[in-house]
Amino acid sequence: MDHKGIDQGINIFRPQSGLLRGEVQVIVMIMAAWLVAVVGSQVAIWYLETALIEYWLSEIIFFNLPIHFWLSGQFLPLWFILLGVVFNLWMDRHESRKFEGTIRYRATGRSKKEQQP
Amino acid sequence: MSSSPVQLIPLMIVAAMFALFVLGGMGSKMRQASDYGFAGNYSGRLGSGAAIASNWMSAASILGLAGLFYLKGYYAMAFVIGWTGGYILLLVLLATQIRRFGKFTAPDFVGFRYESGTARTLAALISIMISVIYCIAQVRGVALLVSWLFGIGYQAAVVTGGALVVTFVVISGTLGVVRNQRLQYFVLIVAFVLPLMFLTKKLGYFWVLPQFGYGQAIIDLQTQFGFYWSEPFATISIYHWLALCFTLMFGTAGLPHVLSRFYMAPSIRDARWGVVWGLFFISLIYWSAPAYGVLARLYDAKAGLAYKTPDPATADLVTLTAALQGGIPVWVVGLLVAGGLAAAFYAISGLLQNGAAAFAYDIYPRLMRPSATDSDKLTMAKGFFLVLAAAVLALSLKPVGMIAETAAVAFALAGNTIFPAFLMGIWWSRTNAAGVVAGMLMGVLISFSAPLLGGLLPVVATLFPLTSSAFLGAPLVVVVMIVVSLLTRPPSDEIVGFLARNVHDVKDR
Repeated sequence: MDHKGIDQGINIFRPQSGLLRGEVQVIVMIMAAWLVAVVGSQVAIWYLETALIEYWLSEIIFFNLPIHFWLSGQFLPLWFILLGVVFNLWMDRHESRKFEGTIRYRATGRSKKEQQP
Repeated sequence: MSSSPVQLIPLMIVAAMFALFVLGGMGSKMRQASDYGFAGNYSGRLGSGAAIASNWMSAASILGLAGLFYLKGYYAMAFVIGWTGGYILLLVLLATQIRRFGKFTAPDFVGFRYESGTARTLAALISIMISVIYCIAQVRGVALLVSWLFGIGYQAAVVTGGALVVTFVVISGTLGVVRNQRLQYFVLIVAFVLPLMFLTKKLGYFWVLPQFGYGQAIIDLQTQFGFYWSEPFATISIYHWLALCFTLMFGTAGLPHVLSRFYMAPSIRDARWGVVWGLFFISLIYWSAPAYGVLARLYDAKAGLAYKTPDPATADLVTLTAALQGGIPVWVVGLLVAGGLAAAFYAISGLLQNGAAAFAYDIYPRLMRPSATDSDKLTMAKGFFLVLAAAVLALSLKPVGMIAETAAVAFALAGNTIFPAFLMGIWWSRTNAAGVVAGMLMGVLISFSAPLLGGLLPVVATLFPLTSSAFLGAPLVVVVMIVVSLLTRPPSDEIVGFLARNVHDVKDR
């Protein structure tokens, strides 16, 4: 096994570079929000279906739609869009910071941490 | 339907819409990758988003989803969530890195990342299989619409529709037409939503946003006709519903023609923001699609058929039947049919070109003719396009299932094979050629395990249903890739270094 290759390796569960670690952290947060919304909403609907008698679930109206139609058909796609916007805003800032760090290092030979008194 | 007359006005609108697309495309300049069949004209984030959405729209979105809502009610929400939620996987895990890789096709990516001709050939074969299965679903949509337009039977409509698609591709190619995807998206969304506004307005509902207005139809069905769709999980277990939903998500992040969009985004930021805009544009379709299914049920109820058992053979056409039952102007119906046909036409031509490119660039020069020149490959791509088209038409003559469910099989195959290959290729540098080949073969086996082994071992059909196999299948494939990779030689330092420096931009080591 070539150790040089492993030292440079990429592993989403063990990101070694600080910048990559930050990126993985935000990915994990977005994925968690995605997973909880999808599974949680369906478990909630399933629970309401079993807890309420007959067709009461269809009679809970929200935004002119039965609650389960609104939650799955309207809210979740909107939630995904919001998650995408949050991820992109974070990534744009992350890349700007990375770019500034590269410029600073090239100009001074020191990182931001090293420049602080 | 086969005895009905030719629909002249809708036919003229269909012709006009295709003429608009051809003329709109003739003024565009081809940006890149024309030989790979993914040429498209776009710029900026909004343009990238429109291109992603236009590339995504198909008969499954325009016709299939409404048909499923009409037939099965809440069950179809798994498709809405699956086909939108999958874009989050694409965005956070793959989009930026695929753009940095700079490879034009899925087999190209797999071959380069895993430094293996075998892995590349396997990825190409899987891409062709995905294209064929997805195309069969699209051809059903084309055939149903052509059958109504020309007043002919289903099989004749399959042949006529297929001939029209091939003719359209040949004419477009001869004239040098490039897909103007922004124009296409905005025409298609108008063609889909405008009839819905007419229908809801005529019913006296909130027509400005028919995506919410149709809710009144559900309430009317309940209060006036006593009709309730079955409870969400009354006919399907929550496991099977979630399995379908996650399979569609994994498949969305693994469809070769979807992944190819990111190679061509103008910049990395555009690739990311393009996904979000694309997701918004796609959501506009999926916020609207359930309305057609619900309104079709309402018209049935008004005709005294509230409790009729819907026919799966005609359910895929409820978008059209709802428009006809609603009595909206014929030109609006024509617009809807033209939108559906255009979406299916472009999906078929894109998928067939994708499959043909996989054969001509990844299989032919490696397995058949190593000395093939670029000109030979181009000729082979054109020839294989026709072969694939003929195969798809032959397989479509006998209907195999509903549009959305047939498409789901293609998603399951993509989710079990291409998605894990990309995910591991990008996020775990230790994955090697042996791992990815073993994983993708396992993925193919899992995808078809229900029809192959389900009779012998019923538990297989329960755990890996044909349309929903990637829920457990994709994680299993990832495990196979990890185990086989750890047991075999690691990838070269060059590719590991490339992954760190060029794909993840890790410099401070």
